[in-house]
Amino acid sequence: MEKEKLESLLIDYIDGNLNDADRATIEQELAQNKSTAKLYRQLKEVMDLMANSKVATPGLSLKQNFEKALQAEISKTESSSSAEAPAKAGKQVFFKPWVLRAAAGVVLVIVGIGIGDQLNKSRQHDLEVAALRKEVEDNKKMMLSMLENQQSASQRVMGATVAYELPKADDEIVNALAKAMDEDPNTNVRLTALEALGKFYQQGHVRIKLIKALSTQKDPVVQIALIRLLVQMKEKQVVNELEKITRDGNVMKAVKDEAHSGILKLS
Amino acid sequence: MLFDRYNKRIFNFLRQLTNDSMLAEDLAQNVFLRLIKYRNSYREGNRFQSWIYQMARNVFADHYQSNKNKAGSHIDVEKMSDHISDIEENLEEREQLLHRSLAKLSDEQRELLVLTRFQHLKYEEVAAIMDTTVANIKVKVHRAIGKLREHYFELEKS
Repeated sequence: MEKEKLESLLIDYIDGNLNDADRATIEQELAQNKSTAKLYRQLKEVMDLMANSKVATPGLSLKQNFEKALQAEISKTESSSSAEAPAKAGKQVFFKPWVLRAAAGVVLVIVGIGIGDQLNKSRQHDLEVAALRKEVEDNKKMMLSMLENQQSASQRVMGATVAYELPKADDEIVNALAKAMDEDPNTNVRLTALEALGKFYQQGHVRIKLIKALSTQKDPVVQIALIRLLVQMKEKQVVNELEKITRDGNVMKAVKDEAHSGILKLS
Repeated sequence: MLFDRYNKRIFNFLRQLTNDSMLAEDLAQNVFLRLIKYRNSYREGNRFQSWIYQMARNVFADHYQSNKNKAGSHIDVEKMSDHISDIEENLEEREQLLHRSLAKLSDEQRELLVLTRFQHLKYEEVAAIMDTTVANIKVKVHRAIGKLREHYFELEKS
């Protein structure tokens, strides 16, 4: 390899600027050729020396002299800009934009800080909303898993209670509660689920579920609670269903009484 | 402030070019005065660092030129490298040797090494300062390092 090219490659190698192929070539050359290895060592020595050369600090006089000269320059430009001689108009123009630019700079910085602050605030707000959302999501997951706990009725009651405390119920929660109300083997769970659903009564799909439950629910305790809830909500379209209950021979008398009083209150 | 940010770098740049701390301080002073005076010549979009180094190069070139005119002859490189400057007094032997080898390089080569190796500027930045291409700077820097190595190990032998 030509010496200058080899030297150049070695310098790039020391700088870490070679691609894989060139690096492999150089490493092979270094392993095989003693004179290349020597050249490499020498180049590395001078390059390292330069890279690690001591940095000197200028004397204080540099700064002092600079500040003195700066002051002199400023007063010079000030005096020339205040002079009225038209011959000096050039200097005046020279100084003025500088002041304007400085002022514009200050304004920009202030505006920048303002925008930055706003961005920061809205970002913080977003973060808070995200944290809240996550908390709600976590609560929901916990509640659903509690409701589905087949082993423990008290856990399922707890789940329904957690649902009761949620500010709003989505379809998933409503379906889980409705399922608990219709199918749970434990009366307390069914009642708590009903209570929770009652809280979300304003949401349209909850009302439909509850009205439908009136015809399917067979547990007398839940039936009574359901009738009371629907009457309390002044749900007039359930009157027909209530009348059916009063005529149904399989329904307990207490339920029939509740249905009668419901019909009276609604009509 | 700009002065605080750059004074050390500019001072060291000039110190390595002149091999003289006192002179470097004077020249650095001139660089910053010129910055104030010619602040309007700075075009936005260009790197400020390139601009300030360009200014420093001009100050150095002017000084060199006026010295040359006064003395009537150019600075003797051999003499310069034999002269033990104030910088070298406090340096280790190897670094002294490095400075003597640097003095043997051409002005351009020395400047390129000071910028890229002592001041750690990128080839792109040096190309902008010297108004040439990156490839050109790279070739020249590599040649300068090669030359420096030769001088260094020659001096070491003697």
